[in-house]
Amino acid sequence: MKSAVLVMILLCSAVWLTAAQSGADPDAVTKVLALEHAWNQAEEQKDTKAMDAIFDNAMVVVDYDGTLRIKAEFLAKMRSETSHPQIEVTESMTARMLGTTVVVTGVYVMKGVENGKAYARRGRFIDTWAFKDGNWLCVTSQATPILH
Amino acid sequence: MWKVAPVLLLLLATPRLTAQSAVQPAEEQARILGLENAWDRAVKQKDAAALKMLLAPELVYVDYDGKLRDKAEYLASIQSPTFHPERIVSESVNVHIYGAVAVVSGVYREKGEKNGKPYTLRERFTDTWVLRSENWMCVASHSTLISP
Repeated sequence: MKSAVLVMILLCSAVWLTAAQSGADPDAVTKVLALEHAWNQAEEQKDTKAMDAIFDNAMVVVDYDGTLRIKAEFLAKMRSETSHPQIEVTESMTARMLGTTVVVTGVYVMKGVENGKAYARRGRFIDTWAFKDGNWLCVTSQATPILH
Repeated sequence: MWKVAPVLLLLLATPRLTAQSAVQPAEEQARILGLENAWDRAVKQKDAAALKMLLAPELVYVDYDGKLRDKAEYLASIQSPTFHPERIVSESVNVHIYGAVAVVSGVYREKGEKNGKPYTLRERFTDTWVLRSENWMCVASHSTLISP
């Protein structure tokens, strides 16, 4: 079985230089959506190496409760012994390419156990991906509980 | 009387900068912070014309309750006769530029009256701006409630 990290390396590196320079990679949306699915898988498996490969070092994450985390804090939370995500599913997802940026919006459902307590969350997210040094990297991610 | 639109025209114009040229981070960060401030003022004044200049046609906006809005829906929500913002302040705002993409994160405080009821909100937000035809335009904005 291929590990998520290998899949991500392939996805990140299979980019045409000319497209990168023009910012018009026709496969960008497909690649970014694949990275989104790989992200879910990596989060379920607590595979921080895989996550590290797709997050920009300056990435900021705003969690469903409004907590702001930088990349290192987000990865540390993933590694935490008290965090046990079990299922992470994306119900719907739309990606739009805007030059060298892809903006992904969607709805996710996440179930797991944190600090000994079971949780089930459903939220709306926006992830922004930027094309940098030949790779698509997530530069910001935010989630909000759906209250209506 | 202070007008939002002429100031916006100055802020939006980036004659020396294109997506391919070297970005001047400090200068562009200041410009984007100016646009964020103009956005706050435009909401407070319910100035749809100013907001139209700031927001890209493809805008995706996720409100604090998880509701997804496009540009037209967002503008309609601001122009609603039952919406009366009284005080809007952004704080802890940070701008990170990735070439022709900028990510802004911060905290947004808003106080006013909606549907006849007073409200006070404190939200964590991220906004994504893209450089298009020498103008910075917001393509994604996302808020999550945090404790007051």
